Amino acid sequence: MTDPKKMKKNKEKSEKIGVYICYCGGNISDHVDVEKVREAAEKFPGVAVARTNSFMCSDPGQELIIEDLKNGVVDRVVVASCAPSLHENTFRSAITRAGANPYIYDHANIREQVSWVLHGDKATYKAEKLVAAATGKAGLLEPLDPIRVNARKHATVIGGGIAGLKAARVLADRGLEVVLIEKTPFLGGNAAGLDTVAPLGEQCSALIAELAKGVLEHTAITVLTRSEVVGFNGYVGNYNLQVKTTLSSSSAFDKAAGHVVPFEGDNADTPTEQNVKTGAVVLATGFRSYQPKTGEYGFDDHREVLTLPEFIKQLSEVNCSGDILELNGRKIRAMAVIHCVGSRQIPGIHEEDENGYLNEYCSRTCCSSILHAANTVKEQFPKTNIYDLYRDIRTYGRGQEELYDRAARNRVVFLRFEAGNSPTVSANDDGSDYALKVTIEDGLTFSEEIEVPVDLVVLATGMEAGDVSDLVSMMKLPVGTDKFLQEVHPKLAPVEMSVSGIFLAGTAQAPMNISEACNGAAAAAVKTASLLSKGYLELDPYVAAVDQDLCRGTGACVDACLADGALEMIDAETENGTEKKARVVPALCLGCGACVAVCPTGAIDLKGWSLKQYEAMVDMIVADELIDI
Amino acid sequence: MTDGQTITCDALVVGGGIAGLQSALDLADQDFSVVIIEKDLSIGGKMIRLSKVFPTLDCSSCITTPKMASAAHHKNITIYTWCDLKELTSNKGSVRARVTQKPRYVDQDKCIGCRKCEYSCPVYVPDPEQGGFCATKAIRIPFSNAIPQTAALDPESCMLCGKCEKICPTGAVDYFQKPFDFTIEATTTILSTGFEMTTIEGKPQYGDGKVPNVVTALQMERLLAPHGPYNRVLRPSDGMEPDSIAFVQCAGSRDKSMGIPYCSRFCCMYAIKQAMLLSGALPLADIYIYYMDIRAFGKGYEQFYQTAKAMGIGFIKGKVGRIEEAENGSVAVRFEAQDGTGVTTENHDLVVLSLGVLPDWSPEGICSVSTAEDHFIQTVQPSIGPTLTSRQGIFVAGAASGPKDIVDSISEAGAAAMEASNYIIAQGK
Ligand SMILES: Cc1cc2nc3c(=O)[nH]c(=O)nc-3n(C[C@H](O)[C@H](O)[C@H](O)COP(=O)(O)OP(=O)(O)OC[C@H]3O[C@@H](n4cnc5c(N)ncnc54)[C@H](O)[C@@H]3O)c2cc1C
Ligand SMILES: Cc1cc2nc3c(=O)[nH]c(=O)nc-3n(C[C@H](O)[C@H](O)[C@H](O)COP(=O)(O)OP(=O)(O)OC[C@H]3O[C@@H](n4cnc5c(N)ncnc54)[C@H](O)[C@@H]3O)c2cc1C
Ligand code: SF4
Ligand code: SF4
Ligand code: SF4
Ligand code: SF4
Repeated sequence: MTDPKKMKKNKEKSEKIGVYICYCGGNISDHVDVEKVREAAEKFPGVAVARTNSFMCSDPGQELIIEDLKNGVVDRVVVASCAPSLHENTFRSAITRAGANPYIYDHANIREQVSWVLHGDKATYKAEKLVAAATGKAGLLEPLDPIRVNARKHATVIGGGIAGLKAARVLADRGLEVVLIEKTPFLGGNAAGLDTVAPLGEQCSALIAELAKGVLEHTAITVLTRSEVVGFNGYVGNYNLQVKTTLSSSSAFDKAAGHVVPFEGDNADTPTEQNVKTGAVVLATGFRSYQPKTGEYGFDDHREVLTLPEFIKQLSEVNCSGDILELNGRKIRAMAVIHCVGSRQIPGIHEEDENGYLNEYCSRTCCSSILHAANTVKEQFPKTNIYDLYRDIRTYGRGQEELYDRAARNRVVFLRFEAGNSPTVSANDDGSDYALKVTIEDGLTFSEEIEVPVDLVVLATGMEAGDVSDLVSMMKLPVGTDKFLQEVHPKLAPVEMSVSGIFLAGTAQAPMNISEACNGAAAAAVKTASLLSKGYLELDPYVAAVDQDLCRGTGACVDACLADGALEMIDAETENGTEKKARVVPALCLGCGACVAVCPTGAIDLKGWSLKQYEAMVDMIVADELIDI
Repeated sequence: MTDGQTITCDALVVGGGIAGLQSALDLADQDFSVVIIEKDLSIGGKMIRLSKVFPTLDCSSCITTPKMASAAHHKNITIYTWCDLKELTSNKGSVRARVTQKPRYVDQDKCIGCRKCEYSCPVYVPDPEQGGFCATKAIRIPFSNAIPQTAALDPESCMLCGKCEKICPTGAVDYFQKPFDFTIEATTTILSTGFEMTTIEGKPQYGDGKVPNVVTALQMERLLAPHGPYNRVLRPSDGMEPDSIAFVQCAGSRDKSMGIPYCSRFCCMYAIKQAMLLSGALPLADIYIYYMDIRAFGKGYEQFYQTAKAMGIGFIKGKVGRIEEAENGSVAVRFEAQDGTGVTTENHDLVVLSLGVLPDWSPEGICSVSTAEDHFIQTVQPSIGPTLTSRQGIFVAGAASGPKDIVDSISEAGAAAMEASNYIIAQGK
């Protein structure tokens, strides 16, 4: 181990490290003795000043750093606060404003890694260790330049539902070239199967037509239907997609047919495979409707039990008169709708699927959608009785509570059940000619058991994540426990994915209604535009670099590299003639360090995370006994 | 800047809450120039005043300050706080705003935020930023992570003793500062004026604000905040640690008789959040939520609700009809249980009201955008263009067009920025 006394004299190291420790308004200081950490930090080798503030990220906090840099008191910065994912950019930009290089800064996370998991002396001890390690590393930090790469002013949208159509149009209006890839022969996605939609009762086909028209008439958008992405490589700003177009076999899509916009796309009706060079990808791959299990509320066992999408479709085709709804020639004198089918499932109460999985989330749209359907029935066929069996009515949004009020005025009868006490649907045996009976312990009337004979049961089936496992593995996309695609952070980076340059639009992320899907799509588009509109972008410089003098061309690093194409062997002219040497392609390098571990001569190292810096961190972690802090 | 000056920019953002900040950032990152006007002393809106936020329970200051800081330091964004929007007119391809900046009685260019004035001022006033639970001074920096860090003097409470003026190291205090008028000319505008809460006063069924230990949800946010007034949760009337706390949901919403027929959308979730935080702060306390429906509809929200149930928080289905003072500072809550068992009364040590949500700003007489029946700004293509208002070139984001939680406000703010960008481009600028 390095003797810390010697470390102090090491000439390469900065002697002007500033340490800035945050209270986080109590988030940290309630558990960590911040002033004690500051006193300890003052004694670490190379530390010129150590300061604290109640919010380091606030303007007065940042000002401390800026002043010290400007006055030449410090030339390396360590901030000890929350996770760097939150505030790294804040501090980098403060350092830049002080006229210094933003990469002379290292971060110690003493909140998520300390105060939120440890308490008392242990917390203070660990905070000191992390700050010590950061100062060790900071002493060896060098100014770095971000990697500048060209970015194609071109975006690809995958999925031609509501969200994909919206995203494509606004991106094209913004001046980007756009390719829209849709796997079916149709545009409109799941919404194409809807009739009039909640909350306003607009004709969904008209909404889709308007969006589709905006896409089809735009010269900057190429629409590829019957197409899927089969290959993916490159890096942000410069992705390559291999897109395969198949012949439409109409029967495969019969099920999708509702009020669809049949559209053949800009691709000829022949199978092709083509390469799409693009800058960024917007994923608008949508959802799929929950399909109830056989026997779930009588589904499959009784043909009078329908899912909501089936009911919406049948209702849109009704052309009977009179004051009782007729479906397929059957009078529906009474019907029951049951909420939360396939959603809001609770471990221990609901039955898991074959993979041991439950849909624990709320599908968000089904309450409004089914109330809208109930109103549609009641307002046209007032003599059809409707029983609405619910857990909670979630008409949260603008215009939605009105649907609920209207349903009550339309004399829809509401009955409430608990998750653990779901209603049952069975064949009617009371001798009347109703096909089914629904039994519920109604929470609105002393939990009385009520039996209602009905002609029809509609299950408010919710949404499930679409199957995009091919894209997930190709693009290495994170998926949440709910199986929907997972954003980086719901508030700080709500449409961004952890893979840079890939964005999320619409229900691929979570259940949403049409309006929310359009907002998500336009939000994804604005991030895409910010990323690509300059024509270039800057990436973090934390990538591998080869010392050409030390490299002996064994190629061990190339074999170990985890990213395709980030390392390559080149023929280099040296004094010994032509020799094999490794070379890094910075934009592709992940900065993972797999190469560093295998290089027999130590010729390859990571900028900003070098082996020496790691050693310095470890030295500082174990050094306390020696430097007596 | 001089009085009467005109500032030009690509986009004007009205309201510097989380929605306005996100819209401004999304525009500025594309190299459009943006001006934000904010009527408050600091940007950040409601979010910077919250404790932790559902569904991730992040510390709210910690995730609001990155956005505040990046907006404040963005080369393409200029922020004016303490502003009164007098008039906003739009004409083919341009908008024009007449704005008055109110006097802070502190010169913003000179003030260095040292707080010496605050420390020396002898006048104590209830701190509005801490729900009125603790005191601050007549001249002060509004709160510790406010942006800008400029002091402001409250002329209502100041007794003109002259101490602050004397102590200020930069001579920033100016008792004679005048309001300041300027004009902004922009191509497009985003309205992100947010929401406010209804008051307890005027609601006799909830005690008209006269029953001690009935607090609003925003006050509870302060009690729970890590840098809150007491640094722990105490009942305001006598400083007792409450053993039984109740949340009253839909207190003013979903109720035509109280003027708000719609659902205020985020109160179910913040009540659950506050209940969870309370059970962490006061592990022995009993916590109940009186509700009609729990509206946990967003990503991860239902799971959040189920976790709260598993933690032992009591969910009682029932509509609260009356709240009255009971013995020893406790509060009697009369409610009609939804299961039909009739009217019951329960006593609690502390009661939190999830009050209704109203728009914070009315365009009436200032700007010709239409509002809907709910008084929030009307959107003309609510399904496929949710940020478009009745005036071309004027867009809306966040709670200004109806209550919306942070996640939905941020998403909509991005969408509004996209539409505004395209509008700017379509104008050929
Ligand atoms: C029963 C029901 C009723 C509803 N009622 C209403 C209502 O009344 N009001 C309302 O506002 N909302 C309603 N909704 C919600 C509405 O349907 C959705 O908000 C909307 O359809 C979401 O659009 P999307 O583009 O996100 O997803 P989708 O419609 O699912 O579109 C995704 C598209 O991507 C394509 N795709 C998927 N994977 C790939 C791939 N790998 N490659 C290429 N293409 C791919 C799909 O073929 C599809 O075209 C309802 C939903 C349901 C289930
Ligand atoms: C008690 C409580 C707890 C909450 N907890 C959570 C939570 O945990 N998670 C969550 O997701 N959401 C939560 N919310 C909701 C959250 O507060 C809102 O989603 C969010 O604040 C909306 O942001 P906004 O920018 O649209 O509006 P606001 O935050 O209201 O911001 C609007 C801004 O515009 C300014 N303004 C208004 N009019 C004018 C004008 N004429 N000129 C200039 N400026 C103007 C205002 O001063 C304000 O700064 C909570 C709300 C409450 C009340
Ligand atoms: S929206 Fe309504 S029906 Fe759908 S899962 Fe949520 S609570 Fe259940
Ligand atoms: S007004 Fe003067 S004393 Fe008060 S904070 Fe500003 S600079 Fe300091
Ligand atoms: S002049 Fe007013 S604000 Fe200043 S110190 Fe005296 S009372 Fe306080
Ligand atoms: S969100 Fe919940 S508490 Fe708020 S008005 Fe809606 S139902 Fe009531």
